[in-house]
Amino acid sequence: MSVSLTAPLLRATTSTFEELALLFAFPDDALAAAPVHASAAVHFDGPSAGRLALGVSAPVLPAIATNMLGADAAPDAALQRDALGELANVVCGNVVPSLADAAAVFRLRAPESAAGDAAMQAGAGETMVGEVRLTLDEGSAIARLFVRDVGSP
Amino acid sequence: MAFNVLVVDDSAVMRAMIVRTLRISGVPLGTVLEAADGAQALAAIAEHWIDLVLLDVNMPVMDGQECLTRLRADPATASLPVIVVSTEGSAARLDALRAHDVAFVHKPFAPETLRDTILRITGVSDVCVTDGAAAAGDDFDF
Repeated sequence: MSVSLTAPLLRATTSTFEELALLFAFPDDALAAAPVHASAAVHFDGPSAGRLALGVSAPVLPAIATNMLGADAAPDAALQRDALGELANVVCGNVVPSLADAAAVFRLRAPESAAGDAAMQAGAGETMVGEVRLTLDEGSAIARLFVRDVGSP
Repeated sequence: MAFNVLVVDDSAVMRAMIVRTLRISGVPLGTVLEAADGAQALAAIAEHWIDLVLLDVNMPVMDGQECLTRLRADPATASLPVIVVSTEGSAARLDALRAHDVAFVHKPFAPETLRDTILRITGVSDVCVTDGAAAAGDDFDF
């Protein structure tokens, strides 16, 4: 794991949870592998290519959408997935500049949702370069940053 | 004057969050339209009178930068007020966007940051946020 990328990943993830989802997040490296109920990934390319994956435990998924919408009750499953994907998108957009100089331009693709922790595992040709584990009031979250190895499709 | 606003973002939740912030900002609102990408935004602008656009950058079909370029190339929309709401962090891309005379709100944003930018761009200064929140039936607290 790259220490230099863990710090910007932590900043991006905590600020995104706190400002957009109104969920206070605390880093917890010792957090046991809490079951990931849902996950989302955002692929990026540019000077580097890879993927940001964000997974949350079961109570966190509806809390994100509920807080973002200011709703009294949890919105439907599609909106819950959309909200998690948007958080992944924002985290990704804020952390990828750390992979290159300020002039670099990255292109982010639309978020992809996955059941369980399907988005959290390294794929072929991917290397994890940062990971943060967070404790939230409602549960837990994990963010992982993968870069695609040079020459990988 | 009531402002007709177009919110452009591929995330339905983010559009709803922005619309919610608009409704409690105190800005007098007319019609609030939504679009999920730049192409939908251009189609909406062609059909409706729009006073303000809140525009994401990274979107499928047509991204916000292309949408903005097309807006500025059309004399009818060359001076349309635009607030870019995006995660974009590239200095080069930010410079390119700002060259189109837009305001920029970085995601993640605090609601009051978006509200203040909306008020600055619209020139609305005599607002009562509390009344606006009450009118919107919203308990969101700035």
